[in-house]
Amino acid sequence: MNRRSDAWLAYFMIFPVVAAVLAFVLGPTWDVATLSLTQFVMGQERGFGTLANFRALWADPIFPTVVRNTVIWILGGTLFCVVTGLAVGTFLAIDSKMTTALRALILLPWVLPDVVTAMAWKWMLHGQVGVIGDAFTRTGLTEKPISFLGDPNLVMWMLVVVLVWRKMPLVALILCAAIRSVPAEQIEASRMDGANARQRFRHVILPNIAFSLTAVTVISMIWITAEFTLPWVMTGGGPANASQIMSTYIYQQSFTFFNWGVGSAMSVVNLGFLICVVGLYLYVNRRSWAAGGSK
Amino acid sequence: MKLDLSRRGFLVGTTALAATAALGAGPARAASGKLSVWKFGGTIAEVEAWPAANERFLAANPDVELDYSFFNGQIRRQKILAGFQTNRLADVIIAFGQDIPEFAGFGLIQPLDDIAAPGQIDDWKSRIVPEILGSGVHEGKLYGMPTYVDMASFLAIDMDALAEAGFDRPPSTWSELREYAKAMTKPDRPGIAFPATTAPVDINIFEGIAYANGGRVFDEESGKVLLNEKGVVDALQLYADLIADGSTPAGTSMTETNFRDTAQLFSQHRAAMWIGLSWLNTPWPVPEEPNWEGVPFPRPDAPSGNHPPVAAIMDGSALLMVSSRTKNPEAAMAYIDFWTQNEQLNTWGGSPEIARVPAGKEAWSSPALAEAWPNWVKAYNEGTFFTGAEPMPRFIGVSAVESALATAIQQVVLGQKAPQEALDAANEAAQAQIDLLRG
Repeated sequence: MNRRSDAWLAYFMIFPVVAAVLAFVLGPTWDVATLSLTQFVMGQERGFGTLANFRALWADPIFPTVVRNTVIWILGGTLFCVVTGLAVGTFLAIDSKMTTALRALILLPWVLPDVVTAMAWKWMLHGQVGVIGDAFTRTGLTEKPISFLGDPNLVMWMLVVVLVWRKMPLVALILCAAIRSVPAEQIEASRMDGANARQRFRHVILPNIAFSLTAVTVISMIWITAEFTLPWVMTGGGPANASQIMSTYIYQQSFTFFNWGVGSAMSVVNLGFLICVVGLYLYVNRRSWAAGGSK
Repeated sequence: MKLDLSRRGFLVGTTALAATAALGAGPARAASGKLSVWKFGGTIAEVEAWPAANERFLAANPDVELDYSFFNGQIRRQKILAGFQTNRLADVIIAFGQDIPEFAGFGLIQPLDDIAAPGQIDDWKSRIVPEILGSGVHEGKLYGMPTYVDMASFLAIDMDALAEAGFDRPPSTWSELREYAKAMTKPDRPGIAFPATTAPVDINIFEGIAYANGGRVFDEESGKVLLNEKGVVDALQLYADLIADGSTPAGTSMTETNFRDTAQLFSQHRAAMWIGLSWLNTPWPVPEEPNWEGVPFPRPDAPSGNHPPVAAIMDGSALLMVSSRTKNPEAAMAYIDFWTQNEQLNTWGGSPEIARVPAGKEAWSSPALAEAWPNWVKAYNEGTFFTGAEPMPRFIGVSAVESALATAIQQVVLGQKAPQEALDAANEAAQAQIDLLRG
């Protein structure tokens, strides 16, 4: 087979994927982008080519709270997910009977449906009937049970904790696999050169897994941005909008208030925010990203 | 007598007569074809009773292919909107009365008057309590056929706790309520609990109190949101006072406890009183129910709002509506007609469902209802049950206003803002949404 027919075969093979991306990613994105420039309320179009939706968004007193909460949700969630995932992944990379069993067990949070997870945590964290608050009180850690999801100062961080519990296992497994693929001779050589455990991790393992680490961070960021079920089922954005994030507010604007134009404008802002954060992260880590990709 | 009639005139005349007869005979003729029905929300008994009734419908209409689906009430707007946009909306939608103005404005549903056979609606009226039928009317047209209503607001009282605190009758005014709640509070059991999440029912419960104080949330004529008027502010002040008195669970706890959960807490002896809708009687699955009684929520000592105080506000959460995109209006109307029959309406006559205010006139003479709700049946028979009752807020943009109100309630419950301050902010936010929606 010559080079020309190889190229045609390659185009033919990737065509379904390209078509699917055009139909299910670019198409809806374009639709949302045009909808954000349209006053579209209660199913009626009231004019295209306007920035009224964006103006309404800036004038909305809740929007700054939503942005702040979204930053905590995405950046806090990603940071804790990746850091704990790296710690757990490093532990799981050790060869032992216990870690072999744990590698399978750790995926349990992934097996549960989102709604079940959200409801279970909601009740465990409840101020009056929750087992966690009750355990704190019984052990003398707190005088009264804490309403983790009813306290505006705690609620966002509790959501992040549940998010990490839910998302971290896959991150840990990916990083565990990356750590286990680090050439044993490199580790052995560094050990012979007198490097201690911390130095081996910092100067041998981390550079080797940089590509996986960057990839898993970007993927986590995208997952967390798109996550809707956990915060919506657990708090509905409350109390007093203290846990209202982009995904829940877009949903509320679009499907509760029937205000699709503003909902779409918020989606565009959300997309722009995600592109900036991911772009910045990739730029900062461009060396490891490029090196890993070329391997 | 000579009849001067041409052949063409004869043909046109007889064809028109035949067509009229055929149209008129619509509901009498057995319906056929596919019929999809979406039901949203309901109590456990209702959710079980509905499919059983569907079997009876199918027995009477063997040519209908019924596709019935039940969904959580909280997702109805999303589900219906998605169905409408994708041309997959069910023929019959069973949803809440408060939804009607927005659904009608959106063009999701059509007036039943436009597709009913002559005399059909009058026939329904003969079996439905008129005040409840009104909950399905919007701009003079019947859009939804109600099967029951819920009323706001009511108070459930643990009678043992009441006697223990030295009282021999339920509280009847707001000041008495504060006094009772304080006296009934123990270190491990608050005197009163009320739900303060963003769930629409929790907001309806508060609206019942505010409307009884002469408050309103919106003026349809001027398009103005009225959340920061005195009637609503003082009602929210009552919530704040109950919390300040130390008679409630912690504010942070109430903002995560919805109407259903608050009822559970009451039935588990974790609160001596709780505020709810008229479905106080709903059987809550707890091992030992308290000795309790349900009464109308205490009245304000002196109503302070600008509008006439209401006795109660009411709305149904199972109104049958016909989608504007139905391809089988005959079967849809046959289904609704079926639900206006006494046999079906008696579902809410105390057996099996005791938690709702029935729409069927005959259901009110059911012995089971008289046993469950003796005072209500007595008032109904005396003609005073619906006196002073009004529909729950219903207008285009109601969700936006109620959402802003929920935020204000939570801010006050959490002690973040005073009622007036919270409601001023809510009013401004809601007005912006209303202006956007109404263009």
